[in-house]
Amino acid sequence: MTEKSRTVSLTKRGFNFDTFMWAFVRLSALAMYLCAFIGLGGALIMGARTQMNLADIMRWMFMPNPNHVLNTNIPDIAPWTTVFWKIMGSAIVLFATSHGLYGLLSVLEDYLTEPRLRRAMRILFVLLTAVMMAIGVYIMWTS
Amino acid sequence: MQVTLKISRYNPEVDKTFHYETYTLEAEPTDRVLDVLERIKGQYDGTLSFRRSCAHGICGSDAMRINGRNMLACKTLIRDVGEKITVEPVLGLRIIKDLIVDMEPFFDNYKKVLPYFINDSPLPEDGKERLQSPEARLRFDDTTKCILCGACTTSCPSFWASDEYLGPAALVNAHRFIFDDRDQAAAERLQIVNDVVGVWRCHTIFNCTVACPREIQITKAIGELKMALETGKLD
Repeated sequence: MTEKSRTVSLTKRGFNFDTFMWAFVRLSALAMYLCAFIGLGGALIMGARTQMNLADIMRWMFMPNPNHVLNTNIPDIAPWTTVFWKIMGSAIVLFATSHGLYGLLSVLEDYLTEPRLRRAMRILFVLLTAVMMAIGVYIMWTS
Repeated sequence: MQVTLKISRYNPEVDKTFHYETYTLEAEPTDRVLDVLERIKGQYDGTLSFRRSCAHGICGSDAMRINGRNMLACKTLIRDVGEKITVEPVLGLRIIKDLIVDMEPFFDNYKKVLPYFINDSPLPEDGKERLQSPEARLRFDDTTKCILCGACTTSCPSFWASDEYLGPAALVNAHRFIFDDRDQAAAERLQIVNDVVGVWRCHTIFNCTVACPREIQITKAIGELKMALETGKLD
């Protein structure tokens, strides 16, 4: 028998918020790893290996903010404060908060059965996430 | 050997809530929990209520919680569960009496995924059967084994939280037809399971896979449904 490939188009199988978020949480997790490894690589290139302890490197990896190199022996922090690192830090903030938001919304779905309370909590979580995103990005670009 | 069974009892005409009653009796290590329950009902307490039918792991009637885990009483040997055995009804469904639960919400969810073969095209020229390659048959072989006992769905915390969730058993049966290349309603079924109370409610807890007495890789099957929704590919 001849086998033919079976596919179902997006319009026929449907696409909704959860279909998007399932892919997004996986890709955003990978993106956060990528950002962290870029942070680690950048830190080592900029002299972290001999001038920073492991804790400082780890903090830089997951939040590349120049405040994390102020207390080290690095004499010149100019390379640590470029626009590139601000974009990298902002990307981690945005990926982490949106990734975590979907987790929180899933917990609400599982544990809150009262529809109005669930809707109210969803709105509260989305607003809190937006505020945390704004604070995180603000810090990235002003410190 | 002597075994002690602590059985959850509930009579809606008398009890406000369930309570436990304990029975001690002789049993062989190779007896099944169902054999012991039958003996209790026949010789000690005729009011004990539980479902059973084929008693050979095929009909799926006697799913219950044995020592805290969902199992079929007819497939569980005494030697595998010890001398002290706690028997309770499955979770997430209303108890009707003792170990009998109301399976209607379970079957309502099952019916939602159109669990039957749909193909409106004319029959083949010989008028007999729609042939399928062994490889194509193998694609959904695992999910054909479901006996609708409900052990998976009633072990799922997402189902405990909300019986709106289709549950693992319904999704397994959706998988069985969606990946059958003779069937023509895959898109319709994918739309049904593509919902916050469909596949997306599964958080890969794996309780269902552990509970399945037919050893179906349920979480894997649900994962395949998710991938089908993301990519549209059914091969």
